[in-house]
Amino acid sequence: MSQLELRDIRKTYAGAPDETLKGININIASGEFLTLVGPSGCGKSTLMNSIAGLETITGGSILMDGKDISGMEPKDRGIAIVFQSYALYPTMSVRENIAFGLKIRRMPKEEIRQEVERVANLLQISPLLDKKPSRLSGGQQQRVAMGRALARRPKVYLFDEPLSNLDAKLRVEMRTEIKKLHQRLKTTIVYVTHDQIEAMTLADRIAVLKDGELQQLGTPKEVYDTPENLFVASFMGSPSMSFIEVTVDRSDTGLSVMVEGGDGRTLALPVPEYLENWAGRRVVLGIRPEHISQPHEQKRDNLMVAEGRFTVEVTEPTGPDVLAVIRLNDTDVQCRLDAEHPVEWGAEAELMFDMRKVVFFDPESEKRIRP
Amino acid sequence: MTDLVRTGFRFSRVAIYGVLLLACLVYLIPLIIMLITSFKTPMDIRTGNLLALPTDWTSMGWTKAWSEACTGVQCEGVKGYFWNSFKMTVPAVLISTLLGAFNGYVLSKWKFKGSDLMFGMMLFGCFVPFQVVLLPMAATLGKLGLANTTAGLVLVHVIYGVAFTTLFFRNYYVAIPDALVKAARLDGAGFFTIFFRILLPLSTPIFMVSLIWQFTQIWNDFLFGVVFASGDSQPITVALSNLVNTTTGVKEYNVDMAAAMIAALPTLVVYIVAGKYFIRGLTAGSVKG
Repeated sequence: MSQLELRDIRKTYAGAPDETLKGININIASGEFLTLVGPSGCGKSTLMNSIAGLETITGGSILMDGKDISGMEPKDRGIAIVFQSYALYPTMSVRENIAFGLKIRRMPKEEIRQEVERVANLLQISPLLDKKPSRLSGGQQQRVAMGRALARRPKVYLFDEPLSNLDAKLRVEMRTEIKKLHQRLKTTIVYVTHDQIEAMTLADRIAVLKDGELQQLGTPKEVYDTPENLFVASFMGSPSMSFIEVTVDRSDTGLSVMVEGGDGRTLALPVPEYLENWAGRRVVLGIRPEHISQPHEQKRDNLMVAEGRFTVEVTEPTGPDVLAVIRLNDTDVQCRLDAEHPVEWGAEAELMFDMRKVVFFDPESEKRIRP
Repeated sequence: MTDLVRTGFRFSRVAIYGVLLLACLVYLIPLIIMLITSFKTPMDIRTGNLLALPTDWTSMGWTKAWSEACTGVQCEGVKGYFWNSFKMTVPAVLISTLLGAFNGYVLSKWKFKGSDLMFGMMLFGCFVPFQVVLLPMAATLGKLGLANTTAGLVLVHVIYGVAFTTLFFRNYYVAIPDALVKAARLDGAGFFTIFFRILLPLSTPIFMVSLIWQFTQIWNDFLFGVVFASGDSQPITVALSNLVNTTTGVKEYNVDMAAAMIAALPTLVVYIVAGKYFIRGLTAGSVKG
């Protein structure tokens, strides 16, 4: 259980024209579960390798419990990684895999035996101890990889997309497993993923990375509800937020924006007062699918709610609800509709826009317009 | 209709096996002739058919080739040279294979600035013909005091073999995931521990490839043997040539054939013992996670 501080981490690969990491600052509290999320090539794996010491950084410092570890050898940092490919030693049995790091650290035999047993019980892999990794299923290999990391009792755990190689069902199971493990052991975990659902469900805080720059650092709720910029807004959430270019109008009743449906019908949507300075200018309206639904009686009185009829272009039933696509200002917009009141493809539907959680972005800087 | 298809099918099968059998036979005939001739008496060879089986089976040719035949002025058979070849081949094969494994490990898992260029230049060594290095190598061996010794031959073969073995091992190790090395580093393993404990145990198939390749190359080499060794340190390939070219009276083909068989036997045995790994090693290489 240790606190980890990344201070202005910079990394440029030899011969590369651009920096891969452009000054990353993250403070990870002791026992915190932080996920690093971003598209491939955003630098998240480089950042993780840098923390572990497998790559040298070209600038900044890494502090663990206040002590600078950026010059240390990987083995002396007290960090363990669970790799995407598991990276189990193929010629060794599960027992030997878990014990390898302990043997190298010259732990007495009896203590190694006890430690392997403890870890095996914790992860319920005791029956597998004498098997070779190639005889195990993907999920079992994943457990063994976690066991190998746990056995050394490191101060910080790094997970490098550990669930990407598993099938969908197992992935959800292991996700829960990892969360349980974290709650039980209260260890500091940095978890790299490109799967935003994993990021949302597991993390205490999420760090969103793009092109080697930290886009936003916050709790899953903060990142989901108040994304700092267009990239974060589009990356987090599935299906993702829809973006509509609109002009802010002022009228007697307050500020509003006009949207035009695919059939030419228009609807004025109320917008919050903090857009006062943007009256007459264009902004990007970001709206999540769940904010457009069939009309709810109890919401009708709210001033920030509007209703209109629109043609549904595509419907995608997911089970609990139906995702429908409508066109607003020449953009496809996703809506989440109730599966109990089916909407026909090509038909018109009465839709309610809940504008309370809608966000707005500056089309120039792509940053969110703050209240 | 079905009958027609079936006959057609049967005919094509027969044709395929027929052609294969013929190819086999063509390929095996020289070996068969060598083998049966080595068991014939000189009389039998002169009067009989080349392909006919011996009228009297005799191992006289073999014993003579092994311990009595003349290779130049000495008449002690190929026995001593056979062991010379072993003394040269075994160390040369082992040293070049281990060096290649080590080079391959460094060039694939511990890349440094210019390591790819270095690998490219080592590959170049695979294409340098033997003849090109004869003179400079002779001068080098002379300066090192290794001229006309088995140790000198071992050195030459190691240098020549390292280019190939490095290529084998480097390409094999490239396919092994880097995460394995990273995991071992985090576990606290150092440069040598990772090599001996993680990578080398994974290398059996490519080790076999390298062993067979190097053994065949070095055992069968004639040019280096004839140039860099003389008298007592000559390998069997050179002795075989001397034996065949030393004639006193009638040419004893049975002895020649037996000597040739003796010279070829070790490579055959190595191939039979490790052959299945050879095919596997050439096709495999990846370690699945």
